[in-house]
Amino acid sequence: MLEKTMLIKMNQQVYGTTMFQILTDDQIEQIYFAALDVLEISGGLVFHAKALELFGNSDALVTDTNRVRIPNAMVEQALGSCPSKSNLTGRNGKRSIKLQKNEVAFGSGADAHFVYDRKTGERRKFTLADLEAAARIVDYLPRLDFCMSYGRVSDAPNAAVYDRYQFLAIIKNSTKPLVVTSIDVNGLKDQWKMACLISGGEKKFRLSPLFANYITSDSPLTSNTEIVDQLLFAADKGIPTIYSPCSGLGVNAPATIAGVLVQTLADALLTMVMCYLQKPGMPLILGGVQTIMDKDNKTLSFGSPELHLASAAGTEIYKWLGLLSASPGGCTDSKVVDEQAASESVMSIYNSFMTGTNLIHHLGCLDSGLNGSLSGLVMCDEIIGMIKQIGKGIAVTDETLALDILQEIGPGGEFLSHDHTYDHWKEWFRPTIIDRSNFEVWSEAGSKSYNERLEPEVDRILESHKPEPLDQRLIQEMKKIINLSDKKEV
Amino acid sequence: MMSTQTNQIVNQTSQFSILSEDQKERIFEGMIETLRDTGVHLHHDQARDLLKEHGALVDGVSVKIPQNLILDALATVPPVTIVQSWDGSKKTRIEKNQVLFGPGPTPPNFTDPHTLERRKYVRNDASLVARVCEALPNIGFVQSLGTISDVTVSLADVYEFAEMIQNTTKPILSWSYTRDTCRDIHQIAIAMAGGEEAFKQCPNYVFYGEPISPLLSDFHAMDKAMYNAQHGIPQVYTPCCIGGGTVPATHAGQLVCAFSESMLGVVVAQLINPGTCVIMGGVQSIMDMQYSVYAYGAPELSLLSAALTEMAQYAGLPMFSTAGCTDTKVLDPQGAIEAATSVHSAMLSGANFIHDVGYFESGMTGSVLQLVMADELIGMSHVVAKGIEVNEETLSVNEICNAGPGGAYLDTDHTKKYASAFWKPTLMDRQSYEDWAAEGKKTMKDRVIEKTRDIIANFEGPISKVPEAARQKIAEILQAAEEREAQKAEADNKGS
Repeated sequence: MLEKTMLIKMNQQVYGTTMFQILTDDQIEQIYFAALDVLEISGGLVFHAKALELFGNSDALVTDTNRVRIPNAMVEQALGSCPSKSNLTGRNGKRSIKLQKNEVAFGSGADAHFVYDRKTGERRKFTLADLEAAARIVDYLPRLDFCMSYGRVSDAPNAAVYDRYQFLAIIKNSTKPLVVTSIDVNGLKDQWKMACLISGGEKKFRLSPLFANYITSDSPLTSNTEIVDQLLFAADKGIPTIYSPCSGLGVNAPATIAGVLVQTLADALLTMVMCYLQKPGMPLILGGVQTIMDKDNKTLSFGSPELHLASAAGTEIYKWLGLLSASPGGCTDSKVVDEQAASESVMSIYNSFMTGTNLIHHLGCLDSGLNGSLSGLVMCDEIIGMIKQIGKGIAVTDETLALDILQEIGPGGEFLSHDHTYDHWKEWFRPTIIDRSNFEVWSEAGSKSYNERLEPEVDRILESHKPEPLDQRLIQEMKKIINLSDKKEV
Repeated sequence: MMSTQTNQIVNQTSQFSILSEDQKERIFEGMIETLRDTGVHLHHDQARDLLKEHGALVDGVSVKIPQNLILDALATVPPVTIVQSWDGSKKTRIEKNQVLFGPGPTPPNFTDPHTLERRKYVRNDASLVARVCEALPNIGFVQSLGTISDVTVSLADVYEFAEMIQNTTKPILSWSYTRDTCRDIHQIAIAMAGGEEAFKQCPNYVFYGEPISPLLSDFHAMDKAMYNAQHGIPQVYTPCCIGGGTVPATHAGQLVCAFSESMLGVVVAQLINPGTCVIMGGVQSIMDMQYSVYAYGAPELSLLSAALTEMAQYAGLPMFSTAGCTDTKVLDPQGAIEAATSVHSAMLSGANFIHDVGYFESGMTGSVLQLVMADELIGMSHVVAKGIEVNEETLSVNEICNAGPGGAYLDTDHTKKYASAFWKPTLMDRQSYEDWAAEGKKTMKDRVIEKTRDIIANFEGPISKVPEAARQKIAEILQAAEEREAQKAEADNKGS
């Protein structure tokens, strides 16, 4: 052994994580400039009276056909005031999600209409009980960071205000931050009021928001009035908002990935400027479902590699602009939790994680988002663990290079019994449902396939996990808010 | 239209990296230091003499290799090697970032594609696997997915090669037990190439050899490596390193070890025949501490393989990597999760020969079902890996402005031109629930089985194009090999 003297190694640059990049800065800049061109030359369609007034009073050109054309200087000004950092905080006050560059959080999906009944295996409409079960599972799973309103419930006491009931169902069953959907601005207002009760007031919510509002738009560069209502309210109150235009390549968007990125970015920037004109400073999280459509051009594919590519590239663009990002992940076109669901989930989680997307949503969603699977959530939790292990990269230090250990043990030796192995093997990923036993052990345990091990785990979580209860008084207060709207919206 | 742009840096493909230049440099230095200070055990007199002659420190079986020998060897490895199929239809380039996927060699068991039961691997399976590989668009090279159990045991390697090469035009990565069978395989390849000169011009297969981790090369591994170097046959010289078992539990230490083990083969081969192609890499994963199993589905396999690929690229060597394999015992979502994870990592890393696609059960069982499924995953991965073309036409500003807000893009010339480039799945289902249910609620597994059986039943492969002369020559080679092995067995019996 050589004597150990102090080693001074200089000018070392290491990769703290695995590095992944689809576009160069020059390519991103091209896309950005093209989006600015679209806003200047063609612009967007705005119908909302207040929004038209805001644009009319600005340097934007508003035509008599409601076309709004925006000079790029306005966009750059708005960009300067859009937060590059925010957070989401669970009801127990833990700031569990950092919304900032290269911080990644995962969560369930949104407003699935169907679920497979766990007893009969039949597909049926999503209920409040299903939503509560999903929220409990999200609350339990260690690698899921936020709880989204997973299903569009079919049995809300008043269908006109179902979003408030969804909010109550998930907040009761999960301490993790929420991502919600709103029927309209009144739905958003009520959910925000309920959140303020928990946060301790409007200003505390602004500092540590309990939820983000998820808005989708299926007509690119066209702001429908209901969406604008929500956006302007969110801008006033500083409610983090995920803005997610849905684009089918070659249907309502260009057939090239670069083209759909330009269109989505132009749409996002139009929205950003509008919110800025209302009130600067709203945490805007930009995403989108940019994908191909099925043969009838009706359904957006939630599993296509084009979606994965466009989502990851979108994140790169938003990172470059200093904005926050979101994208779908862990979702599939498959109708069941099978090899397709597994593959498409891996590919989307892999790419969106490696690229550093802030909020990766729609985990566990089957059938292009129509079906919310509880088993899918549990499967995705394990997939995330694997992908994060790859994302960690490799530490290269004297300790990890272990040249001295290698010399000590020498050719033909074994490392299993060495302390160095004991000290480090716990850094490896340890599977939960994935099985690595040999054929004999596996056969003795009943030759169970992945699905046959997954389902009992879902049952176990549902039976055993009890989320930290929410204060009954808060629940009563929230119910009052819902009741008020119940009476109004019949 | 004339471009008006200057100073544009473009990602022609996605970029993926685990190690910085400084990190690679330290691992490279670690390899130099390990071969110099710790050295290897080499159980081959002639190879030790050769190394000693060139300045290595030899003491018994221990060989310590000075850095100049390593650097000299790296200076003579070829930047490009071309392998041509026996019918001249395909040229495969072995060069930096040129990616091919294929199965792996030697599991004892095979998933019968008809009964779906696990059984012993037989001679017919070798031709079946070769045909399935030939049919799959994203599989670029062929290995057998098994060890033939129903021929003379010591000739399983030769029969396997004879079966496979007649059933595929994709390059085969062969293996052998000894120098004798290594020569048999070489002779078969010459017969298929149409003579020794034609083979020398452009080899039609790659040899796969394996030292033992940690830092040990047995007689046969080195003996075969020397044979292949002498004859200019491109070869893989790579270990299976077991993190926490045969190598340190820390990935950096494992990379140093794996790199050093391959470098021994590189150094000897370059001393024998400077310019001959040697490929580094191997299976790099960890020991599952719960089951004491070498984990083929662990994310650490993906991470280590991608990092070792970067080391190979740093050293200017081609890379033999690993992906598409799983610890599952049956085709299920676990197999899909593990294969998708490793396939995408290996694809993005730019490794040359990415093997073990189709391994079940930690390499104990070969499965064409897993192979067929992985073929689809490779296609999917490639869409993301190839990145995004950004130019005036793809940016589509004119299209977007012409369509206007909420506008339609169906049936425009631009859409017609680019929509044809969308990836077309063959196993992924994108139907509506109703259509899917009407077709019998098939899972991906059902579709994989259907596709596999369809290939087996209906895809003939190139066997009918094999020249009669080559067929006869192969029969003669097999006959001579049988006689030789019979004599050997007899001599062994007498000896004992």
